[in-house]
Amino acid sequence: MLRKYSNHRTQSDNVKLGALTAFSAGMVNVASVTVFFAFTSNVTGYYAVFAQELSKGNWYQGAVVLLWISLFFTGSFLSNLVIVQGRGRWSQYISHAIPVVLEFLSILFVGLYLDFFYTNSLQETEFLVAALLFAMGLQNGLTASISNSVVKTTHLTGLTTDLAILVSMFSKRQNRQNKALVDKFHLLLTIMTAYVCGGVFAGIGYLYLENGTFYLTCLILLVIALYDFYKLTRVKHLFDRRHKEACSA
Amino acid sequence: MSRDRLVIVMYAFIASLLIGSSLVVIYYESPERLIQGEWVEKEWRLEKDNASPELASSSQLQEGLRKEILRDVEELHLGVWKFGEDRTLYAADASANRDLKWLIKGRGHVLELRKNGKPIESFQIQQISAERLVLHLNFDLQVKGIIEIVLERKDPTGRYAEKI
Repeated sequence: MLRKYSNHRTQSDNVKLGALTAFSAGMVNVASVTVFFAFTSNVTGYYAVFAQELSKGNWYQGAVVLLWISLFFTGSFLSNLVIVQGRGRWSQYISHAIPVVLEFLSILFVGLYLDFFYTNSLQETEFLVAALLFAMGLQNGLTASISNSVVKTTHLTGLTTDLAILVSMFSKRQNRQNKALVDKFHLLLTIMTAYVCGGVFAGIGYLYLENGTFYLTCLILLVIALYDFYKLTRVKHLFDRRHKEACSA
Repeated sequence: MSRDRLVIVMYAFIASLLIGSSLVVIYYESPERLIQGEWVEKEWRLEKDNASPELASSSQLQEGLRKEILRDVEELHLGVWKFGEDRTLYAADASANRDLKWLIKGRGHVLELRKNGKPIESFQIQQISAERLVLHLNFDLQVKGIIEIVLERKDPTGRYAEKI
């Protein structure tokens, strides 16, 4: 799911990565709206809000939105920086897992802060939302980077556009037989469904778990980060066992 | 300008955006500080009512709903809203103090009122300045209406006490 890069990735790799990351993004977004009254994966909207606040002369609100957009940018930047700079220095899996671990730490920080330190002040709210936008930037940067921009889990505007384009392309028979287009359609549909399901899950989950919703998101991220680690360890274990068997024979 | 230098300029620009916006958020007068103090209710009005004059029965329905909504909102008719530093919302009439707490959320555009720790109402802060506060109360989409509450700071210059 994480260790392969660009064109070496299979449809199954992208579907698994897309579904799990979109599910976690949907959860974070709904949990954030519930707790903070602020979206965490609505960067297009925030550009419009930024312009609107500036035009109204609301400098504080404008600065808040600018901070959030900048943190999303920084997350995406950092994600790709680790991937680009990590090439040749450490394994591809490590490069791709670092952004997930950073995202995990950001969301865990928000959950812990809410549980033990949060006093409901506006300044805390702004910086906690900023941490979540940073996490979403990390995630979107990672998925887009390693999948050659095929998987974008927080960019639902682009996804809806791509989905609409595909649906219109399927009006031609030859396109309906095109495996690449059908695969892409399945991937986009999976991401969209996972995002919505994540949101619904977080919305209902918040009623029972409250801030625990953020810990659940962390758990999903842990699965993403450790899935390939488990596979790699298992392959290594099997290889070692066969090697030993071959030597003893 | 060489590309190497352009990249440095770009990184510096992004860093300055981050630092600049953080400083504004930390030090600039936030809606949370601005709202503290006493505000006098000046106006309550229903905006964007979608009742169609041509449809009498529909209008009657809207009127019924409107009355029902206003009955629920009536509890918030405080006369003078005093936003305390401890995030308690005091009414002018001390006996009417119902342990209301106020919180500002979002980017400073949502005012949430809580009673006994539970959210009871949230308003969009449409406008906030040293003298004027305009709140929008969104309610059921079925009615597609907004209650606008206009408040003005009670005696911003301190002359009110002298008059008394």
